[in-house]
Order: sequence, then C-alpha cells, then structure tokens
Amino acid sequence: MKGDQQKRRFPPLEADTVPRLLRTRTQQYPDKIFMRRKHLGIWQAHTFSEVYEKVKNICLGLLALGLQEGETVAIIGENELETFWSEYAAFCGCAKVVCLYPDTTPDELHYVLDNSETVMVVAEDQEQVDKTLDIRHRLERLRKVIFWDPRGMWSYHDSLLMDLAEVQEKGKRYGEQHPGLFEQKVDSGKKTDIAVLSYTSGTSGNPKGVIMDHNFLLDNAMRLHANLPLKKFSPYLSYLSPAWATEQFFGVGLGLLLPFELNFPEEPETILANIRELGAGLLVFGPRQWESLASTVQSHMLDAGPLRRFIYNLGLKVGYKVAAARTERKSVNAFWYVAYPFAEQFVLKSLRDNLGLKYCYLPISGGSAMAPDVFRFFHAMGIKLRNAYGASEAGMFTTHMGDKFDLETLGTWYKSHPDIGPPFEWRVTKEGELQVRGGAGFQGYYRDPEKTREALDEGWFKTGDAVRMTDDGQLIYLDRVKDLRELSNGYRFPPQFIETRLRFSPFIKDAIILGDKEKPYVSALINIDSENTGRWAEKNNIAYATFPDLSQNKQVRELVRGELYRVNQMLDPGSRVKSFINLPKELDPDEAELTRTRKLRRGFLEEKYGEMIGNIYEGVNEFKTEIPVKYQDGRTGVVRADVFVNLIETNHSGD
Amino acid sequence: MEPGQEKKDIALYVEGIYLSFGGIRVLNDISFHVQEGEILSIIGPNGAGKTSLLNCLSGFYKPERGSVVFNDRDITKLPIHRRAKLGMARTFQGIQLYPGMSVLSNILTGRHVAMKTNFLQAFIHWPWVHREEIKHRRIVEEIIDFLEIESIRDNIVGELGYGLRKLVDLGRALALRPKILIMDEPMAGMNMEEKEDMARFILDIEEFLSIPIILVEHDMEVVMDISDRIVVLDFGNLVAQGKPDEIRKNPVVIKAYLGEEDEQDPLSYKAWDKPIEDGDKNEG
Repeated sequence: MKGDQQKRRFPPLEADTVPRLLRTRTQQYPDKIFMRRKHLGIWQAHTFSEVYEKVKNICLGLLALGLQEGETVAIIGENELETFWSEYAAFCGCAKVVCLYPDTTPDELHYVLDNSETVMVVAEDQEQVDKTLDIRHRLERLRKVIFWDPRGMWSYHDSLLMDLAEVQEKGKRYGEQHPGLFEQKVDSGKKTDIAVLSYTSGTSGNPKGVIMDHNFLLDNAMRLHANLPLKKFSPYLSYLSPAWATEQFFGVGLGLLLPFELNFPEEPETILANIRELGAGLLVFGPRQWESLASTVQSHMLDAGPLRRFIYNLGLKVGYKVAAARTERKSVNAFWYVAYPFAEQFVLKSLRDNLGLKYCYLPISGGSAMAPDVFRFFHAMGIKLRNAYGASEAGMFTTHMGDKFDLETLGTWYKSHPDIGPPFEWRVTKEGELQVRGGAGFQGYYRDPEKTREALDEGWFKTGDAVRMTDDGQLIYLDRVKDLRELSNGYRFPPQFIETRLRFSPFIKDAIILGDKEKPYVSALINIDSENTGRWAEKNNIAYATFPDLSQNKQVRELVRGELYRVNQMLDPGSRVKSFINLPKELDPDEAELTRTRKLRRGFLEEKYGEMIGNIYEGVNEFKTEIPVKYQDGRTGVVRADVFVNLIETNHSGD
Repeated sequence: MEPGQEKKDIALYVEGIYLSFGGIRVLNDISFHVQEGEILSIIGPNGAGKTSLLNCLSGFYKPERGSVVFNDRDITKLPIHRRAKLGMARTFQGIQLYPGMSVLSNILTGRHVAMKTNFLQAFIHWPWVHREEIKHRRIVEEIIDFLEIESIRDNIVGELGYGLRKLVDLGRALALRPKILIMDEPMAGMNMEEKEDMARFILDIEEFLSIPIILVEHDMEVVMDISDRIVVLDFGNLVAQGKPDEIRKNPVVIKAYLGEEDEQDPLSYKAWDKPIEDGDKNEG
C-alpha cells in the first residue's frame, strides 16, 4: 500500500535508456523547440525532430567510421549544440561517453583518454584538436578525431581528422545503405550499458572515472523531476561543463526527461548577457559562479554614486530582514513587511532584472559548499537560491525545498523512482561520515576495482563528507572527513568552512587555511582579489605597481585583517584565524595550484608555500621570498617579494 | 617566370615612388610588388618612411612620381574612397575608430561603401532598406564571430582596452570585404597574449580569405614568424627585400639597423634602440 502511494508521486518511467527517451520525446513533441544557440547574434532554434535527425546522422556517421558497441567516445569543448548532439549520438550507437573540460591540459587529456580507452575524440576547435594531435602517438586506440569548428584548420591534412559536417554526410549515406540500422541500435541498448564515465576532478591523486549507466542517469534525472517544482519547456541555460556530473544530470538527463528548452551561450564570456536575454527559468551554477555574480553586484555598487548606494543599501536591508523572516522563521517587526513592497519596486526588482534573474524560478548551486552569506545575499534580492548536494558516484542527495529552510543545513533528501532500484537511504557513521545506498547505486570506478572497494562500506557508498546532525534531525555539512584537521592541542576544526566564508569578501579570491597536528593555532594564506582590491586601492589613492606590491601594501593588509576579523566572529575561539599572509602571487590552475573547478590542491600548495608557512609559525614578521611561476605560453619566471606576516587580535578589532 | 603568368599572380605593383615633404625626401624610388595570398612585411627603423609608404598605397598621400597598380588598374591618382570600393582596406597605427559608438556600429561603418540606401530612405525605412540592413548586419556578425569579439558586441568602443580596439579596427577593415589588407603596426602596445591572438587572426585572414596582407610591424619576432616576404626601408630607400631568412642574414639590413656589422642578431628587440634615435634626429 505504502509502495503504491510512493509510486503515485512519481511520473511513469517512459523509457529505460537515454536514446529511447530521446525517441519518445521526439514522437511526442516533434515541432517543439528543444535546443537553441546564439549564433551570429541571433538565437537559432532546433526542434526535437531536427535534433533527432542530427543525432541520427552523427550516430550513423560514427558507426560508418567503425565505432563498436561499448567503445568510448571522448567529447571536449565548451557547452554547444554539437557537444550534446555528439553525446546523444554516441549513446544511440551503444557507445559510452567521456566529457572533458575545454581547458584540460595535454597531460590530463592523455590520462583520461588512455584510462577510458577512447577510440574517437569529438573536439570543438583547433585548440582541442592540436592538444589531441600532440598526444596521439601515446594513444594506440585512437582512430578518429572529429571537430566541428574548422577555423584555423583549413590547411590541416591529417587522415585522423574529420569535420563533423562530413561525419553527418557520411552518416546520411550510411543510413540510406542500411535502412533501420539506427532504430535497431536504439532498440538494442540496455539500461545497464555504461553511458558516461565522469572523471572526478581529483583534488588528490589521478582522477577516477565514475561509471554511470543509463539507469543511473535516468535515476538522477527522475530524482530531480519528481522532487523539484519544475515547469515543462522552461528555458535552461547550459553552462556547467558536461564533464561535471551535475550537468549530466540536469542538462543531458533532466533536459530530455522533463523536457527543457536547452540553451547554449554564444561564448562563455557572454553568459551574463545571455542569461538576461533568455530570462532563464532554471539556472544551475557552481558556487564560484554564484559568488562571482554576488561580487559583480557588490563591485558595481562600489562604483555607483552615493545616492544610488544609499538607496541600494536601504532596499537590500529590507530584503535581508524579510528574507530572514521567510527562510529562517525569525520574527521580524511588521515595519519591514510594510517597507518591503517599496524595496521590491525600487531596488530588488531592478537588481534581479539586471542580473537576468527576473524569470528564474529555480536557481540552484551545485558542487561544493557555498557560504550562507552568499545565499542570504541572493535571498535578500528575492532570488530563492538553493543548494543541491550530491556526489558523482551516487548522484543527487538533497536540496532545500519549499520556502522555509535553514541555510546551514543540507535540506530535504531526494527520493528515487521505485522502478529504478531499492529506496535511496542514508546514514551517518560514528566518525561523522555520511554514507548512502539505493537508487541505481554506485557502480564503481572504471578499471579500478581497488578504489571501488575502498569507496564502499558493506554496500554503503562512503561520501567522505563530515556532517553533524542537529537536534531536529537535520544535517549540517562541515567539511570532507579527511579535511577536518586537528591542531597540536587536539582541537578539530573545519578549514573549508572558514575558507568558503572568507571567499565571500569581495577583496578575497581564495583562502588557504592552515593548521595541523604540528601547529598550535589556525592561520591563513590569502589570495586577494586583484580586481576589487585594485579598485578599492585606486579609490583610496593607494599607489601600487604590481600584484605583489598591492598584496603587501599596509592598507590592503589592514583591509584583509578586517575581513578575517569579521569571519572570526562566526567561529568558536579554538578555530579562529590568528595570523595571515597575503600571497604575493595569484593562485592559478595552470600551475596545478587549483583544480579546473577552482578547488584548492591543498597538499601541493602546502608544499609549494612550505617556507612561507614555516615563517608564520616561527613568528617571523617580515621575510623575502621567491615563487616560481609558469606563464600560459609555457615560459617560466620568478616572483620576488617582501612578505609580511600579519597578526589578528582576537579580543578587539584588528585596527 | 612568364610575364603573363606573373601578372596574374601579383595583386599590387609599386613602381618608382618618390615622396618628399618640403626639403626632406621621404620615399626615394621605391619599387616592389605584392603577390596574391602572401603576407608582405615592411620593416625599417623609425622615420624610414614605412607609414608614408602605406599612406601612398592607401591614398592619403599622393606620390610626386611613380605609380601604384592594383589588380591591373593604375590607382595612383584615385581618391581614398574609390580605393576602398576597389577592395583596399587598411587599419591604423593610432586607432581611428568612433569612440562614442558601439563595436557593432563601428564595424558596420566598414560596410558604408557598399550601402545603397541614402539618408532619406533610411529615415523612412522601406522594406528593401530593412533587407539591406539585415544583409550587412549578417556580414558584420560573421566578422564578429571570426574575431571572437561577441562579448563586446554592444560595448562602446571608447571604454574598451587598447588590444580590443585594435581588433575592432581590424574588424572594420574586414567589413569592406577587402581584396588587399594594409595593416599599420597592428601589434604596437599589445601584451604577449594579445600579440599571439593578433598573429593568429592575421594568418587566419590570409588562409581563409586568401587575400594579400601588407604589414608594418615593429615586433621582429612576429614579423619573422608570419611573413612570407619582407621589404626593408632605410632613410626612404628600399635596401633589401626577400624571404625572412634572407633578410635576417642580409649585411645591408644589419648595417641599417646597427650602423655597423655586429655579432648580435640584428633583428632582436635590443637592436631597435639605436635606430630609433637616429630616425628621430633625421626627422627633426
């Protein structure tokens, strides 16, 4: 009886593989717009039947080129129509897909292509093709490199290369010679076929290829579909790279299941303008993008005149009060409710409009944890931003649902479709680690049984996330279990928790929190935000020449000290940051200091800046340092700077 | 080479050009030619007469003697806008854009010579005027796509950085659908990354549009990398022309740059310091 009731909440499963779902949707809505991309300044639309035709031709083209069942196709490029077409086409050909970030380095690319046994690469442009050709001699399985933007490659004559347009032509002819082959392929796919290998960003060691079969993709798409208030044919802007599991669930899976109108930005740089043109209804960004949206607003307001700033602050203050009343159930004076319509009319509405979020009914932050301050800021503007929490290996876990929720908690658990697998469950171990099982379940890492075994605990998937349960049974995310750190006095503190809260400052781009068993207290390496801090310095008539110069400026150090002091107030005394250094050089993914998703590579950083860290704890006040840097074109150099160690008094204001 | 065959392959002839300002002879009997689909660089110390030569080609200056033949037509006496109509486009050393207009409008001005609508028709906006506008807008959008400047399409040119303005300037030149492109120091004042981008665009233009490009540029590394042939000027005289490797080894060129023969590579950055002073003195 209970099972029946649960089933009723879920829409029926119309197909058990992605290709069959694509066919069903095309039969249902042949003339509805499925995908759109801005090209030559105009949004060019493609209906379901047009997309189906493209996917069919690409698929047949790949088959004509000899793609076999179960082989791997790699796709590397920005989010464009062709990225999605190629992915669906490979699915239809019963092949598996691995998507890569466009800024993957040749070495990373080689590792993934080799590990995933890739036989064909679909690359966006010259940049990606060159990268692939550079490493071809180390890839014996590679048989074809297909590209869709021929610019700059007019004189490339390599038998390995082929234009995607030519592949489609080939596919069309192949389809005429083999009628019914495509449909047969779509029919023959099984739900347990591997669909995607999603390589985890690898904050430690080599990336691991998480296996996702069709069942898993659809399970997660269905979790979102059944648990979120979604509207059919909402315009969705595909921005997160499909190399990230989140976009596989939202764009590739849910986009087809619901379906959405999938929109692709003209260029990654035009994203803000594109959001506004589209009036996107659903937006999934990583915390970094939301944080940068928030600091865009703040830095624009720094430039505004005093009157505008006054009105903005006033409006936002009202927004904050009312949002707190709504989400956190705080009791608020009736005055704010009276003031709210005015704030809405004169400030908040225009803010939303300028950000392009006027019609956005479901803004979601996925990936890693985001500071509650950022959430509060968006809620104050009337944008009901919520966090989606999950893991590549086990899918989507939780989201804040409804109007009322505690920002510090993880939110409500998703339920899995009963036809897909056992119910989705979770538990918290004694060590405070969150573990999950159920749904389509974790299917292991590709060609790595040992790591797969390590990730499981009696059938439960170990998320590696440290959580704390509140008195009313809600979960609060603290940090990664392995990242919770113990000081020499035995006190355990959450470094990432502090880092995310520091990052909300417009003047701080990144923060590395230090402290372990050999260190008696917490300290920080700060990467200041050169743009905002530079602007602040200009406004305050502070002269500086270079980034090292700016970072070590006395007033800038005072400014950062103030920011740290503010964050310290949110922490219990044992976790407070007692000293910090402003890094004289910006952290850079090209130097492997950050991952491509801009997560800190802690081990590497602590080694690289070991001398600096040693000086902090030895009580040195000022020292000279040299940091090797690598430029984008491969040249190397050295940044030399005089660096200051700054102390923060914990009892009174840092000044 | 047969004379007939040679003619077909050559886009622009310059024959015996003389130009002087008052008593100063700026160009002295300059002759060279530009072949179809090649990148020809004109180099020389400051004050050697490079920009003056470009101005003679594009019609800003009228040479006292000599002729310029473009696609078998003598254009020595033609005014600038007629040369533009023939397909001669140019970018400028100091950027000459409309700073108060958007990037899109600036590039659209490059289509002006091809527009048939007059002021009154544009005001009434007949359907055919509308169609013409769409046609030109499409060409402009293709250029924006080619130069990858979508994100600044609607920005006002006055608020853009120097490197981007240079790209817009190039975009406007391309909007003419040129048959030859003349670029005056396209990379001056750019940083390393912008220079690399610009060099790639120049090569792409040559390859994709297969039009000849005449380039005046100070960055020797770039010139040596992307040019098919090089013409060297010194004090208004043409002292050498040939392939980059030949120019690098040419003793006359080395002398022109250093004043004397030296072990040092004459075309390195350092070598430029001295001739710049010489040039300034000469002009003053």
